[in-house]
Amino acid sequence: MTIQETYKTRAKELLSSGRVKMVVGYKAGSTPDRRRPHFIRTPEEADRLILDSACIANLSGYLITEGLLSDEKSVGIFLKPDGIRSLNILAAESQLNIEQIVVLGFDVNNNEITSLKGEKAEDFSTLIESLKEHVPQTPGNPLLERIEAMNDKERFAFWEAEFSRCIKCYACRQACPMCYCRRCIVDCNQPQWVNTSSHTLGNFEWNIVRAFHLSGRCVGCGNCDRACPVNIPLRLINAKMAHEVLGAFDHFAGMSQTQEPVLASFKKDDSETFIL
Amino acid sequence: MTRILLRDKLDNCVARWRKAGLTVIGPVKKETFSSYAAVENAAELDLSMIMPDRSIKGLFFPQTEPMLHYTIKKQALDIKDFTPPPEKRIIFGARPCDASGMAIDDPLFGWDYKDNFWFQRRNETVIVTIACTKADDFCMCTSLKLAPDSTKGSDVMLRPLQNNRGWLVEELTDRGRDAFNEIADLLQDGSEPEASIAVVPEKFDLDACVTWLQKTENFESTFWKEISMRCIGCASCTFLCPTCHCFDFQDEGDTYSGIRRKNWDSCSFALFTMHTSGHNPRATQSARWRQRIMHKFNYFPGKFNVNSCSGCGRCSRQCPVDMGITETLQAISTLQP
Repeated sequence: MTIQETYKTRAKELLSSGRVKMVVGYKAGSTPDRRRPHFIRTPEEADRLILDSACIANLSGYLITEGLLSDEKSVGIFLKPDGIRSLNILAAESQLNIEQIVVLGFDVNNNEITSLKGEKAEDFSTLIESLKEHVPQTPGNPLLERIEAMNDKERFAFWEAEFSRCIKCYACRQACPMCYCRRCIVDCNQPQWVNTSSHTLGNFEWNIVRAFHLSGRCVGCGNCDRACPVNIPLRLINAKMAHEVLGAFDHFAGMSQTQEPVLASFKKDDSETFIL
Repeated sequence: MTRILLRDKLDNCVARWRKAGLTVIGPVKKETFSSYAAVENAAELDLSMIMPDRSIKGLFFPQTEPMLHYTIKKQALDIKDFTPPPEKRIIFGARPCDASGMAIDDPLFGWDYKDNFWFQRRNETVIVTIACTKADDFCMCTSLKLAPDSTKGSDVMLRPLQNNRGWLVEELTDRGRDAFNEIADLLQDGSEPEASIAVVPEKFDLDACVTWLQKTENFESTFWKEISMRCIGCASCTFLCPTCHCFDFQDEGDTYSGIRRKNWDSCSFALFTMHTSGHNPRATQSARWRQRIMHKFNYFPGKFNVNSCSGCGRCSRQCPVDMGITETLQAISTLQP
């Protein structure tokens, strides 16, 4: 049986046994290479489930849809390791009760799909620990390496040009499982703390605010990057910040459901090299 | 007598228009992104893409623009209006859906209040549209009763000749004629075989959709919840849309001086309808998506007798969760009225 069929059967079992009220997975999209989120509430709906190497979106953000978990029933969800990490963060930040989540874990490497053993987020902790061990020393991204090699002025000019395209549609925010604030700071308008205008200043304000709020929280799923309709390489900013946080605080986001948020916790031996 | 513009004359045209004081704008492809942008020569134009990622809208209705500057003193209030600096422009290589989008929005911006920002730019801009010879899976102009060679909203329509040789010139407005008189000696009389126009299959029955939308009881249909369940509430569909036109006023500055700006806004945002009291009449994303569809195909045509959609398909093409108008209307057209 293919991995897709195995998981289809599992989704059906979860639903028909009443273990979960819904499974969040993927189904065919409007073109052959597109997948779209699939909310499966009956075993029959699981027939349309697709699980293949095109299933790359991190679906964990749907778990905090208003009211979804408020009846205390469980929900199953297809997650790659990055999604499991963001699930851990959501739990650690008290956004959901992780006991209600059944993980259908899988991974995609070199267009090959593999299944991940486990059901609860904590079942995958060894895997996530090994991911932390294997974080490369260098970014491994040609564009990020190019930016690293730039001086401050060139770097500023690079991002100024990239952000000049920003239209403030907030697709990055909306696609991000970590951007769950009921009212984002940019939507607080009494008074308006952050300019809504998408001029240079406004675009910098927005993108820098988001970068800081995601430092130590981003799992690098790439949802923001793929959602951006003007193709700003947003992932690079967050990848860079994740690298900084790992180096400074040995913090790899989403290790467990009890991991303290790095920028909201204090340890006596925290590195202070960045304090001027 | 028909006239032809040969492709190898295009660079001369661009130079001539620029010399005559026109800003020449056209589809430009950068490394990862395409848009309508100002060019200095024809080589910068990419006339082969299906359409730029961003629509033509921002050229007439920028995503942010100043409206007035205010200073408040003890006894006096000083307000200085901003008007866009005059700029004669020619957009070469607009897509028919983009050009028609501007014509669709004209009545809106000229309805009870005449928006001078919009009309100044409309009057100063010549839109030279090239009929489409290719389309992708998301193009849906024909479903909106338009076509890959619709002339709506265009000042000049160019019909591609075979073998990429150039275009047959069809001048539609005085503005278009003036711009092409400027380059009259670069055109040649005669005719050549035209390239075939893109085939865009009809994707839904618009009339059936409109009938369904107009039925009051369907406003509360569970359909809206189902279709928009995966909507994440970003504004990319509305901001990429050539016809979505909602905006917000923002004062930037302080109590004593500042700038009032007009910024794009979107019905996808929860904040769009949030009352001061905290009550939100469109409390859910499904209510917001319903509004977008109702507005485009029910309310807007009810007022202006035209659908607020030109079928470019950008909403579906670029949706982060693979939603869009096409899928929604396809689903509606299969529902019982």
